[in-house]
Amino acid sequence: MDNGATMHLAVSLLPGTSDLTGEPEFPRLVRFVQQAEAAALDMVLLADSAPASDSGTVNNPMPFEATTLLAALATVTSRIGLVAAASTVTHQPYNLARRFASLDIISHGRAGWNATMARSPREATNFSRPEGFSDTDFRRRSEEYIGIVQGLWQGWDADALLFDKSGGRFHDPEKMHLLDHKGEFFFVRGPLNVARSPQDTPVLVLSGLSEPDLDIAARTADVILLESGSVESAKVRYDDLKRRATAAGRDPDAVKVLTNISLAPDDSSATLADRLETQFRAKSCDGFSIHLSQLSVFDDFFKRVAPELRRRGLFRETYRGTTLRSHLGLAGGGEQ
Amino acid sequence: MTAQMKLGVFLWATGHHIAAWRHPKSHVTAGIDIDHYIQLARTAEAAKFDMIFCEDAAGLREANIGIGSQTSRSIGFEPISLLSALAVQTSRIGLVSTASTSYNEPYGLARTFLSLDHLSGGRAGWNLVTSASPIEAANFGATGLKPHADRYERAREFAEVVTSLWHGKASGHAGQSFSVRDPLDLPRSPQGAPVMVQAGASDVGRDLAARTADVVFTAAQTFEEAKAFHDDLKARMAAYGREPDDIKIMPGVSPVVAETEAEAREKHEELQELIPDDVGVALLSSYLSISDLWRYPIDGPLPELPESEGMKSRQALVVEQSRRDGLSIRQLARHFAGARGHWRIVGTAAQVADELQARFEGGAADGFNVMPSYFPGELDAFATLVVPELQRRGLFRRDYEGLTLREHLGLKRPA
Repeated sequence: MDNGATMHLAVSLLPGTSDLTGEPEFPRLVRFVQQAEAAALDMVLLADSAPASDSGTVNNPMPFEATTLLAALATVTSRIGLVAAASTVTHQPYNLARRFASLDIISHGRAGWNATMARSPREATNFSRPEGFSDTDFRRRSEEYIGIVQGLWQGWDADALLFDKSGGRFHDPEKMHLLDHKGEFFFVRGPLNVARSPQDTPVLVLSGLSEPDLDIAARTADVILLESGSVESAKVRYDDLKRRATAAGRDPDAVKVLTNISLAPDDSSATLADRLETQFRAKSCDGFSIHLSQLSVFDDFFKRVAPELRRRGLFRETYRGTTLRSHLGLAGGGEQ
Repeated sequence: MTAQMKLGVFLWATGHHIAAWRHPKSHVTAGIDIDHYIQLARTAEAAKFDMIFCEDAAGLREANIGIGSQTSRSIGFEPISLLSALAVQTSRIGLVSTASTSYNEPYGLARTFLSLDHLSGGRAGWNLVTSASPIEAANFGATGLKPHADRYERAREFAEVVTSLWHGKASGHAGQSFSVRDPLDLPRSPQGAPVMVQAGASDVGRDLAARTADVVFTAAQTFEEAKAFHDDLKARMAAYGREPDDIKIMPGVSPVVAETEAEAREKHEELQELIPDDVGVALLSSYLSISDLWRYPIDGPLPELPESEGMKSRQALVVEQSRRDGLSIRQLARHFAGARGHWRIVGTAAQVADELQARFEGGAADGFNVMPSYFPGELDAFATLVVPELQRRGLFRRDYEGLTLREHLGLKRPA
């Protein structure tokens, strides 16, 4: 585990993140993610969107769904973590667990799933649930869903595959485990038909939390994203989440709390570095997830802010490991 | 220019032969090695194949855990993530993935495939299937497998919603199985719409294909079977206002090819010898949708079978072959383990090309879905021996005609 001396940094790619240059979208995204990798950032968060307006007009200039984009970006990067948003309403848990298990193998252990606890009624209307969900149903369903996905990710032991050609034993059947989940919302027998992840399991990132979701997050999440507030209120939330994790029998270091920061184009790099340093040194978070409105704004972040944070000893010089878990200082990530 | 055949390569685990993974030259770690798949895709692209094709199963292939552990099919990549990775590591070849209408929703599936289509510059295709496996069903609720007719009614509605979303029509669909309010939030496909593929061979499956498919995969052992299927399907299209050329019918073919016939036979025998009896019988059972085949003497004939709710057409094909050739359970099991009921040719490049040419020119196929016995060796052999022979005969392209999968297949761009 890392000693918490340095912060974790993520950047978020949101729908609407566009520079109207007319350049095709994918090469621009590749360049951006490769820049983030050159700056040794922990991860890129790929947002996903359902239709974003009731008028039904297309206003998402990023013509990609997040999990497919993640797979493509995995092949043109080698170190940076790649986290895709995917909704618990739009995917069956078995299919989602399988998609991310596969992404984790494609990326050699750099994949994560960003699940939001916030409801999107609009989403339900396109997924044959015009009636939507009540808040409490949605919360219980989300918790059950996350449990299924994490359970499926652990269905194959790391040493289950034997590849024994002459003995005719491809895998050890004792090391493949059914899930046999029978719950309130889902029945899932398992196991996945995808091998164990190179980083043990894909990283679970939870966002969109309201007060009643905090216990679920403390029990299950690897990374929690929180909205920016005052340093004092952030510190209270941070301490509270770590307490809840401990109460759930987890090492508080096994849950990383990142604060969302929205980047304005006129922020000077020194000011931003000061702001991040203040919040981090106050132990109000384990790091930050930087949001932006334009990719070009990030040039400045990669070229000035990240090096400044390094100069102050607040951010890593280079990646020490190869998996997302190892960047985040989480167990199961192989080399730390 | 005379018409040329279309060719797909069907990627599956370590190879289509059930014992492929045990072959000394097969890439045994295929199911966890993305670089292996990138290499296969590039090999197929260099040989100018129309497309690569991935099957899909949302669950284990084999109910018996002991049997399953003797095959390489219990683990592998999920195909949409796999093809999305291959999309940016290739530039021309079509990318077709299977996805089931049974355990997906049309809005999400339409959106995911459209994203793959954008990542690949218009090279995506969707092979629509309904799920016939109780193993899969157990991962999606407590109600078990739905009857054949219900699955196809859901599939028909599903295809209708996906097609209208891809064609940019404002949706507002409220039907028996699905309700969808909005259009997709992604731009229109670079090829008009992703290519629609189907493989169902039952009566209701054929009707759905005649109505909606651009490409149809099928299993046919003999020329007569292939021809009958081809003519029947094309005859059904008029009812839906479509031209016969609007569908490309591509039967599966599993060639074992070498420089000499003797060498090819030897290669084939070598694979057959690697099949454990219990694995062969289990595989045959799954195609027949019965669970107790192991009770019958392995050197005796196939017993009488009840009508199945699973893969009706495949069951009939197996039964017919067993009666026709007087095969024992062991012989049938070995036969089907090799190519799973698909057509197999063992021989030289010229012999394989002769067979393909006869079916293509005889109007029994518009092309073929090539199912190499093991990877990468048998794909390499087909690409280096058979493809040049087909090109010499003018039966296959020497270079891609266009950029998109629709252009490769010579299909109309949807309005």
